[in-house]
Amino acid sequence: MNSIERFYATVNREPVDRPAAWLGMPDIHAQPALFAHYGVKDFHELKLAVGDDFYAVEIPYQSPNSSAIYAAFDWYMDGNVDAEERTLTTPGCFAEAEEPEDLEFFEWPDPAKYIDVEECRRRVEMAPKDKVCLGVIWSAHFQDTCASFGMENALMNMIANPEIYEAVDAKIMEFYLKANEIFYEATKGRLNAVLIGNDMGSQRGLILSPDMVRRFIIPGCKKLVEQAHSYGLKVIYHSCGSIADVIPDLIEAGVDIIHPIQALAAGMEPKGLKEKYGDQVSFCGGVDTQDLLVNGSPEDVRLKVRELRSIFPTGLIISPSHEAILPDIPPQNIEALFDEAQKPGKTSLV
Amino acid sequence: MAAAIIEEISEFLQKGRAKNVKKLVEEALAQGIDAQEILNEGLLSGMMIVGGKFKRNEVFVPEVLVAARAMNAGVAILEPHLVAAGNEPMGKAVIGTVKGDLHDIGKNLVAMMMKAAGFEVYDLGVDVEAETFVEKAEEVGADVIGMSALLTTTMPNMQSVIDALNAKGVREKYIVMIGGAPVTESFKEQIGADYYTADATSAAEVAKAAVEAKKA
Ligand code: B12
Repeated sequence: MNSIERFYATVNREPVDRPAAWLGMPDIHAQPALFAHYGVKDFHELKLAVGDDFYAVEIPYQSPNSSAIYAAFDWYMDGNVDAEERTLTTPGCFAEAEEPEDLEFFEWPDPAKYIDVEECRRRVEMAPKDKVCLGVIWSAHFQDTCASFGMENALMNMIANPEIYEAVDAKIMEFYLKANEIFYEATKGRLNAVLIGNDMGSQRGLILSPDMVRRFIIPGCKKLVEQAHSYGLKVIYHSCGSIADVIPDLIEAGVDIIHPIQALAAGMEPKGLKEKYGDQVSFCGGVDTQDLLVNGSPEDVRLKVRELRSIFPTGLIISPSHEAILPDIPPQNIEALFDEAQKPGKTSLV
Repeated sequence: MAAAIIEEISEFLQKGRAKNVKKLVEEALAQGIDAQEILNEGLLSGMMIVGGKFKRNEVFVPEVLVAARAMNAGVAILEPHLVAAGNEPMGKAVIGTVKGDLHDIGKNLVAMMMKAAGFEVYDLGVDVEAETFVEKAEEVGADVIGMSALLTTTMPNMQSVIDALNAKGVREKYIVMIGGAPVTESFKEQIGADYYTADATSAAEVAKAAVEAKKA
């Protein structure tokens, strides 16, 4: 099987020669050690060197104040949308907004102006033909809406003034649907899947109630999934933390793969997920980044990968439980993860 | 009569209805009910009820936030009366998210629940230097130092705060508490902190009990 065949088999929960594996998007500070370990000079070479089944690409976005689509909105109206400083809780420009008219002053960016279609094509052409070309496009409408008010204001608005919350969310959704359409049209035939999502979990449970997730997040999720499916793309949905209580809702919204199985969060044990949802949806992740990959030995990592392979003979893409690998993870442990995932055939725990 | 209005204050607070809480607190004062009683029995106890539900995953962050907003609205009205009566807080807590870490939702909830437990809280914000924790605690005469870290890469900075306290020879003066997603009981042991809790309500309960035990 090549990576693409393996990926589709995983999505359809059909037999695989070995699990697919994804490196994720290592944090910029984690990259130098990984480059040195694999003897490569950039991220492109790293993706090839680790033996990844995926080749991730981002939507090229360049506006006067942002060079990343996930930082497209100038909520602080200071021309500085530097992702490093976006903490979500800082009050955004809608902090005081009460009525839809209070939103009118804001200049919504037009994605058509800032996405270079040629660059979209160039990026997907970089992907080797036998790798899964994955658009990491986020479309994180919940997180953006949170930032626009300031996260605490946004969460309070969900209770005290849901209309204003929904008005902003609708504008943000409009932006992402348009941006994605440009990207999907430009990359037709080259893209296999997209990663979208919003962080809605904490270590102990959801940040907001399942009912609120259903009202404020799932409808947007559904639209984004429908759009991707209409281009024949598989959808990986991301949320950090404990999201066990809304997995059935994500399945109903049409999500193909749930990411990142944050292994130590409450209710996210791979075994339980497989038992409950293993015949309805596939997963990606599961190799813990909160302890194992940081403090464990390569042998510990191998053991975990073997365990995951025995729980999920198919239906799981082996990957760190957070896509942003941090600099405290020894590259040896990443190598162990891939090496063990790539061993052919059935594995047993012994 | 008094009990009824205080019960109502608590109920509106639990629903996060700041305006109603404000109005009823004013009414209660006008009826001549003691400000301390309104605070403890209406506002703070109402907030602790919400905190209890949060701890049991019956309500979530948004419900806690609106309740805290209502609590603060009520407290603002009571404040001049409490100051005039010379009421003392049950203790003082300095809290913050450690150096390099910007996650603050959990830390903010801890601050809110500590207030509900009767603490005067000094919130240092995020990305806080070890020295800043120590200086602030010394300056205000804190009982508790609370640190939050959500990243494995910033957890070691909790150790730096404890080292800084030791270097100054003031470690024993403080009850040191830690928390955040990757933090565990065994990490607490490892760095020599006093308490770890997994949620904000437990943090406030533990802090209160520890301060009471220390003062007894
Ligand atoms: C929301 C979130 C964000 C938001 C933060 C918004 C904000 N202003 O706080 C944003 C998007 C900005 C963000 C950024 C990042 N994040 Co983040 N984030 C989360 C997420 C999904 C939820 C955290 C949260 O708010 N929970 C809700 C609150 C209520 O819960 P809590 O914080 O745990 O607090 C409770 C308890 O822990 C306790 N508590 C908290 N503090 C204290 C203190 C004391 C004294 C006590 C006693 C108790 C206590 O009480 C609280 C209330 O009950 C977690 C997932 C997770 N499992 O937690 C990832 C997570 C923490 N993030 C992670 C990462 C990697 C990052 C980034 C590095 C990603 C990147 N490359 O950009 C950056 C780092 C930025 C920085 N320098 O800090 C990883 C960390 C992995 C690791 N190796 O440790 C996590 C675990 C996700 C994952 N899948 O692995 N993140």
